[in-house]
Amino acid sequence: MKPLITGVGAVPVRRQLERSARDTATAVALQAIGDAGLEPGEIDGLFVTPPGLSGPPGFMWSCAFAHHLGLTTKAQALVECGGMTAALALRSALDAVTLGRSRAALVVALDARVVDVPENPEDVMGFVENAVVGLVGLYGPYDALFGVGAPIPYYAMCAQRYLFEHQATEEDLARVAVTLRANAVDNPLAEHRKPITVADVLASRPVSPPLKRLDCSTFSSGAAAVVVTAEPLSRRSKGPPVAVTGIGEHHVPAHFGDRRASWTRFESAESAARQAFSEAGRTPGDVDLAELYGVFTATELILYEDLGFFPKGEAARAVREGLTSGRGRTMMNPSGGRLSLGHPAGATPLYAAVEVVQQLRGACGPRQVAGAKVGLVHAEHGMLDGSFVAILEGA
Amino acid sequence: MKDLIDRKTWEAVRHYGGAATEEYYRRLKENRLCATRCDACGHVAFPPRDFCPKCWAKAVSWVDLPKTGTLFAFTTQERVLRFAAPEVIGLVEVEGAGRLFAHIDAPFESLRLGMEMELGFVEISAELTVPKFRPRTS
Repeated sequence: MKPLITGVGAVPVRRQLERSARDTATAVALQAIGDAGLEPGEIDGLFVTPPGLSGPPGFMWSCAFAHHLGLTTKAQALVECGGMTAALALRSALDAVTLGRSRAALVVALDARVVDVPENPEDVMGFVENAVVGLVGLYGPYDALFGVGAPIPYYAMCAQRYLFEHQATEEDLARVAVTLRANAVDNPLAEHRKPITVADVLASRPVSPPLKRLDCSTFSSGAAAVVVTAEPLSRRSKGPPVAVTGIGEHHVPAHFGDRRASWTRFESAESAARQAFSEAGRTPGDVDLAELYGVFTATELILYEDLGFFPKGEAARAVREGLTSGRGRTMMNPSGGRLSLGHPAGATPLYAAVEVVQQLRGACGPRQVAGAKVGLVHAEHGMLDGSFVAILEGA
Repeated sequence: MKDLIDRKTWEAVRHYGGAATEEYYRRLKENRLCATRCDACGHVAFPPRDFCPKCWAKAVSWVDLPKTGTLFAFTTQERVLRFAAPEVIGLVEVEGAGRLFAHIDAPFESLRLGMEMELGFVEISAELTVPKFRPRTS
């Protein structure tokens, strides 16, 4: 069966969820189901992400959530693969519908990333225990011992290599953040909407050189949902249905940066893009808008190149000349991207899909990309150790 | 608190690592930085494995890595558990083993890409010693 995306829902990205994980997930689920023109009882597939990648464990969350919503399903799973998590939950739904195992699959991705150190001294010990074990599990029994607590240093070294290998400057990086912020001004879902300047970025607090505060996305919380249906249910959609015409996925055997490969050019992104474009019969030049998993300014530039939009080393000039802001070329991250939409990692790829679907439906108001017909969603995990690319088009 | 962190770290290293990881840290305690080399195809695996992740042969041998390398990239991190913040960390290219992620024992401002670096060791707990690098002096 041909799967179509017929419903979407999302809450604004904020530092913390306004409601509980369960109530937030329920709200976006019901929004997406309603948008698809369906009743909850018609959903027969459920694919969820953990209820917070850095939060408490998500063991059996799909079961608890299906129980809460009152869903009977024939396909159900909790999916996890780092930053690519929500993209693979979406892919699982597309696969289930394609295989005929589900006729209406619901994808719900949520993240609540801000974890505060407990105020009560009695709770601090337990918090530290969990944090230590969690960080060794996440960054591995080698890197973790150097105190790595976030992937920022890896991306900082990637940025340093990019500047070095392509004679780019910190101003070039800053311009990426400024451009993305301008996109977010008209996006009510975005966490950061106040315009910024290159000077603001350069003056922001150094985090891991050469990356400064405004070169980095924020730890954010949010939730999004998508409904994938087969005919005849697809006809009930309130907005024009959207087809996924090509998917590419590629993982290399590395965790937080291949220690023998380039740190400015990534096989996973290049390969995933090639597969997706080939399957869709499209080229980068056909893409009207792209929502990319660029969590840092330098990564944005690298992705513009690795996904095939610009030759290697030319992305900084493209940003400077406004070529990533539409102008007849692909509009990069009309939502504001990770740097301005905000980055609830476990849900980020689903926010990307929601933005592309809304753009292809022509439903984005003042930030609408005129005549958008072909969109691209990218997600990655680790430090581009794996990439996912999907091409979306009006059905 | 340091005792708790050390104990939990060692538990986690054993849980998420394994026999090859424990042998790696046992050798680091003796101030030896080692990898494993495949007896069949010669591939040097770092971090070490008890099999070859290239040709999946079962027989591998422990080898000492060179004590020098070149600086591929470096940065600082502002929140760290065991080192004084901001901690300098980097990737050092060691011949035959790829790039090692390690503590850099030098001020950030003194570092340049491509610098020659030399290996050192830092004991972080009773069980765990980790490699560090600093610019080569001789």
